[in-house]
Amino acid sequence: MKKYRLKIVEETADVDVSNPVSEQNMEFIIGEETYHVGYRAISNNCLHLVVDGKAIKAFLIRGGHGKHVFVNGRSFVVEDADQLPLRRGRRTGIDQAPGDVTPPMPSVVVRIMVEEGDFVEKGQGLIVVTAMKMETTLKAPYNGRVTAIKTTVDAKVAPGDILVEIEEEVPENEQ
Amino acid sequence: MGIQTTAVYSKADVAAAHVLEADEVVLLGESEPSKSYLNIDRVINAAEKTGADAIHPGYGFLAENPDFAEQCETSGIIFIGPPSRVIKNLGNKTLARTIMKKAGVPVIPGMLEATTEPAVLYQEAERMGYPVLVKAVAGGGGKGMRVVSEQGEMEEACLSAMSEAEKAFGDGSLYLEKCMECPRHVEFQILADQHGNAVHMFERECSIQRRHQKIIEETPSPAMTPSLQEAMGKAAISATLASGYVNAGTVEFLLEPSGQFYFLEVNTRLQVEHPITEMTTGIDLVRQQLEIASGRPLAFNQQDITRTGHAIECRIYAEDPEADFFPSPGPVLFHREPAGPGVRNDSGIYGGFEVPVEYDPILGKLIVMAGTREAARMRMIRALESYVILGIRTIIPFLIDVLKSSEFIEGNTYTNFIDRNFKDWTQNMDDAALARIAYVIDELTSLEKTSATVRDRGWPTPWETLGEWRI
Repeated sequence: MKKYRLKIVEETADVDVSNPVSEQNMEFIIGEETYHVGYRAISNNCLHLVVDGKAIKAFLIRGGHGKHVFVNGRSFVVEDADQLPLRRGRRTGIDQAPGDVTPPMPSVVVRIMVEEGDFVEKGQGLIVVTAMKMETTLKAPYNGRVTAIKTTVDAKVAPGDILVEIEEEVPENEQ
Repeated sequence: MGIQTTAVYSKADVAAAHVLEADEVVLLGESEPSKSYLNIDRVINAAEKTGADAIHPGYGFLAENPDFAEQCETSGIIFIGPPSRVIKNLGNKTLARTIMKKAGVPVIPGMLEATTEPAVLYQEAERMGYPVLVKAVAGGGGKGMRVVSEQGEMEEACLSAMSEAEKAFGDGSLYLEKCMECPRHVEFQILADQHGNAVHMFERECSIQRRHQKIIEETPSPAMTPSLQEAMGKAAISATLASGYVNAGTVEFLLEPSGQFYFLEVNTRLQVEHPITEMTTGIDLVRQQLEIASGRPLAFNQQDITRTGHAIECRIYAEDPEADFFPSPGPVLFHREPAGPGVRNDSGIYGGFEVPVEYDPILGKLIVMAGTREAARMRMIRALESYVILGIRTIIPFLIDVLKSSEFIEGNTYTNFIDRNFKDWTQNMDDAALARIAYVIDELTSLEKTSATVRDRGWPTPWETLGEWRI
């Protein structure tokens, strides 16, 4: 038995693989499900799989911390959770807490529409950033008070950079 | 046609597909558009240096810039498109509306004069009543355009539209149009030669849009009827003749469920979605552009143009459909194109290509044709499902779900299609287990490959050194 912990976006699943008797006869246990798998490597980037009797062509390539895997018209980034570097301080794009005001990709700050001390409502525009000729407004994730603005106009910013800090507040009349 | 080509490019595009295909190449300058693709002098110089007779402006950048067309005219280079005066008139959206109104083409209710004064816009919006559409007078491709549903959103919408328009077109003037409730975007392809002949090549429906930019186009429109086609075709020809148009162009309309249609604008260039017209009419539009630019009369009249079957185009964007279609640039690690009868892929990428951060995130266009709409839809799904692009996020999985949706099948395609049906789309994770299985098998097979080379060198094999197997 060989064990993996494989992560796709935010979901890590335990994958137990039976000792391969042959390419045509393997057993995978993922979570609660058991899969009977046969395979043939077609090329460095292509596998032909037969999973529970269903034939699938998969394409794979290594990149970043994991592998990009294409099956049935959809691609996934699969990472080995046991080999991922430990995160320190700055978080990566897909791991942002939903409350962070951070750009979705490397971009440049065009306008800052709030000041420190402002009360902002959920959904209110805070900062406009631009990337690939497109402007996007970063919005307040919840009602609250702006405690810090940590960027300036024309600054280059990246996912994970927190541009505006907001302390969550419930308006007085709702308390 | 046996014509030699010169490609111009910026530093960001040294390895772009058009550069690799051309007979000669000229570096324009830095990746910043103002120092390369938007720099008229440098483009003209490149043409003069290589002795080019004509310039095809493509789409985007200088394609609809009247100053550029004029500079070509004065430098004795043929601009493959309409005369600069026509581009100028039609590029000014409010002037275009005035021309069309005079020619009897129905226009959307709204302003006929643009302004840079936000106060004028606020006042006009109050008068017209919300919702209104804020549009850049020099606009195109959805840039500088905002839908405003209430007064509170007006200020931010006007300021951001103005800044976007200023940046994209060098003119921040805005005007307002009444916001249509539930329109379709239906456009007519037209061709006009230098001898006063004009024909249309039927319609394309391009209602499925995100950020006011089309992502799926088809022809015929599911809403088309013979009488509507005749009326819209006639209006398209009127628009062509009234503006003095020459070469290939597109007259865009909004079509309401009632069958009432309104002039939207004329795109004075080849459209991104032109292949679906080529597939169904059998007419090569770029070839026609070159014939017209050489001064030849059209070789056919309206009756000669027929359309067969149904064609669909999907634009392949490097965007994350789960994050508001935000661009997803980066390296294309692996690329495998779909193929087969009725499938055409006009692509600008290849395995190893780095999608630049600097420009629009379009990677290519996948086009299919078949006998019926349903057959074309199925063919497109098959083609999308076999299109492998690894390394960057693309909208392919989103497109597949749109094409499989009952609303698309029924032809209920309106410009609010995505907001109405796919607002909080997330990728289906049903195949995540298969992806994990593929990952593990790939690990095992690469282990076998490594162990083979390791064994050759007489080192211990991983079977001896790895202790992970619990047998």
